[in-house]
Amino acid sequence: MAPPSDASQPCLAAGCRWGGSEEDRVILFPEGAIKLQGTGRQVLERCDGQRTFGEIIAELQKQFGAADPAKIRSDISAFLEQLQKKRIVDY
Amino acid sequence: MRLMVPNPLALIAEVTHRCPLHCVYCSNPLELAGTKEELSTEEWTSVFQQSGKLGMLHAHFTGGEPLARTDLTELISAARAAGLYTNLITSGIGLNEQRLKTLVDAGLDHIQISFQDSREQAANWIAGAKAHAHKIELSRAIRRQIGENKIAFTVNLVVHRQNLDHLEEMIAFIEQLNPERVEIAHAQYYGWALANRAALLPTQSQLAKAVAIVANAEKRLAGRIRIDSVVPDYYAKYPKACMGGWGRRLLLINPAGKVLPCHAAEVLPGLLFENVRNKTLAWIWQESSSFRRFRGEDWMPEPCRSCDRRGEDFGGCRCQAFLLAGDATVTDPACSLAPSHGTVESAVREANSGAAVAQPAAASSFVQLQKQTTDLWSYRTNPE
Repeated sequence: MAPPSDASQPCLAAGCRWGGSEEDRVILFPEGAIKLQGTGRQVLERCDGQRTFGEIIAELQKQFGAADPAKIRSDISAFLEQLQKKRIVDY
Repeated sequence: MRLMVPNPLALIAEVTHRCPLHCVYCSNPLELAGTKEELSTEEWTSVFQQSGKLGMLHAHFTGGEPLARTDLTELISAARAAGLYTNLITSGIGLNEQRLKTLVDAGLDHIQISFQDSREQAANWIAGAKAHAHKIELSRAIRRQIGENKIAFTVNLVVHRQNLDHLEEMIAFIEQLNPERVEIAHAQYYGWALANRAALLPTQSQLAKAVAIVANAEKRLAGRIRIDSVVPDYYAKYPKACMGGWGRRLLLINPAGKVLPCHAAEVLPGLLFENVRNKTLAWIWQESSSFRRFRGEDWMPEPCRSCDRRGEDFGGCRCQAFLLAGDATVTDPACSLAPSHGTVESAVREANSGAAVAQPAAASSFVQLQKQTTDLWSYRTNPE
């Protein structure tokens, strides 16, 4: 599988959903859970199947204005690709 | 004062020991819980509510065959209402598209169907039941449901001496069922599987080939099907971190309400396992003598006590120590450093000297299959 394209619309994969409490948000999936804080959480909360990957990147680049936009893009792309391989995210 | 114990993460709910299959590798105890002792709908509902309050995340419905409970829909819905992620581990017998839809509507998150083989006759021979064709049909129904409802689908394949030689074919077979995940699990030698070990334990060469085939499939299927594989501890250098450590992450409730740290713990002598009918789950987890017995490191003998790996494998499996070495307090014999490792070595030696595989028997009934294979293995029976 390739990394997400700008037009793709990332979402949680089948059988994966949010759980836990507001302070302790986790993504639940068939054999486990990942605790999400900070940027990871901000990325996945935008993976709603509506926003495109391009839009998600643009929103986060704007939010983290001080950081290198190219690095933000490559980090998020690698993060989603890794979760896609685990069948937690689809795009 | 004792330190607070972190809460468990997941509940394994053995809702019944009744099962239409008779798999020879079943890790259920030889002494199965009877139908009359089973917890009621209300009792399970209370268990799920308590689990949710304890901060647990997953409820794994297993058995036996969970579908044998006519109230399974209510149980799934109660677990989901308590905030738990619901996972149904099933043979698929007793499920059709309509009942599946009902379960999904009740909040089922994930379904895991076991396959015994890719070849129908061999699969039915292992399961002691004509189940294979139905499982294929059901897997297609699951795919249709997923399109609409977003549940996850896993295929579980238990591998052993009798089917490892055509692992590639089995993976190709599973691929066309199109699950999100595949679990390739080597049989674990407890319960019925231990009784049938001589017929199930693979050879070194079968295992080496299998490892390469799985690694290859992982690469080929990356992004499409996730493969989780469980390695056979008899061939490992160090033991498995059984259940992620005793009383550390998981708890299991058997059909009669007994709370156990793992699937096999009932075989251990001298331990009193509490029942959810008499005590709260929180008390049992935190305070009961059975959960405290092997928690942490105080109980550890040498070589575990001074071993660098003690925080990773927790001394291995207590039940295996008892079953193979006759003492639950010693290092898991699967560990190459264990004084009792010889018991595992001799089983492995035997596995590598004997005949490789038997010829699958064809039969039209379970009774016939049983008769034909009495010298090879015993099929799992059903509780009273």
